Amino acid sequence: MIQLENIVIASEESERLRVCFQNHNVIIQNVLTERFVKPGRVDINFVDYDNVRFHLSTPTSKTQLVLSMGIQCWRDLEKYGVNDMLESEYGEWLIRDGPEKEQEYDVSLMIDLEKLPEDEESRVSFIYHMSMLKPMILAAPFRRAYETHKELAAAHSPDTSSSEEKQGDMMIINYREEEAFVVQSSWDRITVYISTAFKEETDRVFGRVFLQEFVDARRLSNLQSAPQVLYTTRDPPLELRNVPGLQKSDDMGYVTFVLFPRHFATLDIAKASILRILTFRNYLHYHLKASKSYMHSRMRIRVHTFQQILNRAKPEVQADERRTATGRTFRSR
Amino acid sequence: MGFAGNPEPSFVFPTVIATHGSSTSGASGGGKSTVSAPSRGGPGGGPPPVASKPGHLASKRGIDDLDFFIGDEAIANSKTYSLHYPIKHGMVDNWDHMERFWAQSIFKYLRAEPEDHYVLLTEPPLNPPENRENTAEIMFESFNIQGLYIAVQAVLALAASWTSSKVTERNLTGVVIDSGDGVTHTIPVADGYVIGSSIKHIPIAGRNITEFVLNLLRDRGEQAHIPPEDQLRVAEKIKEDYTYVCQDIVKEIRKYDTDPYKYFARFAGEHSVTGRKYDIDIGYERFLAPEIFFNPEIYSSDFLTPLPEVVDNVIQTSPIDVRRGLYKNIVLSGGSTMFKDFGRRLQRDIKHIVDGRIAHSEQASGNLMRSTGVDVNVVTHKRQRYAVWYGGSLMASTPEFYNVAHTKQQYEEFGPSLVRRFSVFGSSS
Repeated sequence: MIQLENIVIASEESERLRVCFQNHNVIIQNVLTERFVKPGRVDINFVDYDNVRFHLSTPTSKTQLVLSMGIQCWRDLEKYGVNDMLESEYGEWLIRDGPEKEQEYDVSLMIDLEKLPEDEESRVSFIYHMSMLKPMILAAPFRRAYETHKELAAAHSPDTSSSEEKQGDMMIINYREEEAFVVQSSWDRITVYISTAFKEETDRVFGRVFLQEFVDARRLSNLQSAPQVLYTTRDPPLELRNVPGLQKSDDMGYVTFVLFPRHFATLDIAKASILRILTFRNYLHYHLKASKSYMHSRMRIRVHTFQQILNRAKPEVQADERRTATGRTFRSR
Repeated sequence: MGFAGNPEPSFVFPTVIATHGSSTSGASGGGKSTVSAPSRGGPGGGPPPVASKPGHLASKRGIDDLDFFIGDEAIANSKTYSLHYPIKHGMVDNWDHMERFWAQSIFKYLRAEPEDHYVLLTEPPLNPPENRENTAEIMFESFNIQGLYIAVQAVLALAASWTSSKVTERNLTGVVIDSGDGVTHTIPVADGYVIGSSIKHIPIAGRNITEFVLNLLRDRGEQAHIPPEDQLRVAEKIKEDYTYVCQDIVKEIRKYDTDPYKYFARFAGEHSVTGRKYDIDIGYERFLAPEIFFNPEIYSSDFLTPLPEVVDNVIQTSPIDVRRGLYKNIVLSGGSTMFKDFGRRLQRDIKHIVDGRIAHSEQASGNLMRSTGVDVNVVTHKRQRYAVWYGGSLMASTPEFYNVAHTKQQYEEFGPSLVRRFSVFGSSS
């Protein structure tokens, strides 16, 4: 089984293996790297996690790449300030509403190959920035949560009793059909609730074990600085009881992360913790699949050893005397 | 691998996986799998090569099974990891590695949640049905994919030829000449079904052409100018950029002899280590290199049947009622068929053989019977290099794909034996 402690998001060791879970999109990175050297026509459709669709094309000329992205929860994100984020991070390339914007997609960026940064290093970082489009967009509600947290923390005075504690809005993002994540900030913490659905019985069992391990793993001494993790199945956590649109069924699991100020003290730490939470669901599902693969390979080994035992146990076939039609026998000399 | 509806695959890398420790069998070969994760199964029998694991369950709390690389990254890490090729001779040999290879292809490169997607895999002709079952088990049970279709590579190559302007009707009857790096196959397909008994293999392909170019350079003494460590690379470059198929070899040689300055090309190279510049003349290899398909005796003494003759043989051993269709649609696929005028020459040579036979039988009948003639048509198109992938992309982007693919519900209803049968697709369109 996979060492679950390593999955806990603050763990250093897991960083190496998270290699499999890059945050950026590899296809965008590859295509842009290729086109920057040699412009040419492209028209490709591809996807990313969480029902994200991409379309990269050159509608007008070879040097003008248009990267469009469609995401299911755009409405939710719009409520929580994704447009401000886009303006600040991608404003230079953003195509505002107009005929050039692709209608079926939510965001369109225009990359002009004639106006690229000159030196190699800034090109690489530019490409990386572009391929981070999706996580950046999903991070918008978190940014807002940080801001709310700052406001609340500033307004907070030690003598207010906990019953009057003021909390920020619940920001609900339905990023998949049945699954959502909810971000809520308060004066001393930010809480992230993630709901995830397991379609398959086996997955459900695995998932339960996994998520439980998360809670247990935190007891280890070297992981004390990790955020608090809570986990429930079936029933959403009490805070979410009143949130509309959450389904109650056996297939659902709820994970709650409680981020304390040290998890978003500086911009870099904040960024890292957002990205980890965003990939959490896919990370979990990847590990479910990986552990199934691992089980399968163990099963194959086991079958092979059983087969060997069976082969050894086969009784030797007694060669009975062969006779011809007339009843005579052969004699071997 | 890539997503349906695109003209080119998003990722092309060799099927290789790098794992820690357990350097078992010395793997060799393993062609490039250019198609969306080709499903190719291995022959039964023999102990399955399993990754050696420590014995006790208690020691299992490690993450070794996640510590691996695939494709180009695997090759880059070959110093610290051991490389394995899960596909051997076009068939899956090690299912453990294949399963992990697929896992990483989906999660790391395609970045798609498999539960939301349909998957199209390809297999070589004559893949045993057990391998399909194994594949389906992995795909449905490990990855919970929504639906699966396993297509035969040759059929997809035929579908890819529909992009050519020469093809007017979209049918799935034809001969596919698939030539990659290691081996060339000629595969007859009738209405989407492969005629297994008449498949022929030709041991001449890309690698041999490169070798032949190198031999020719050596014969003319040009090789001395190339640094030894770059020779193979230079030969490959010459093969890819300068060669073409001539229509008449004798005339071509005479042409080169009388006016070498007009036809000889120059190749400027750079030493990969020292950066020293050098340049060489490229002469007869320009048209002689691909000529080994048509006159194999100039290259080897083991295999002497020219490609047009092999194709003709393949068609002649196929059922008589499909032969006309096969002659009419000869489709090229794979990188080693991309030489300029390759299709034209092939068409002319096959036509020559066929016409000869017709004339002979007309004569044998005492000139009483007249043949209406047989159409010979070799189709070349722009997507030849990744023809199989492109055909798959084309097929998977049609709405019909969802009808012919088997869904997860069906799998749960019938079990893995479901994938032994797939309805042929595109046949109605």
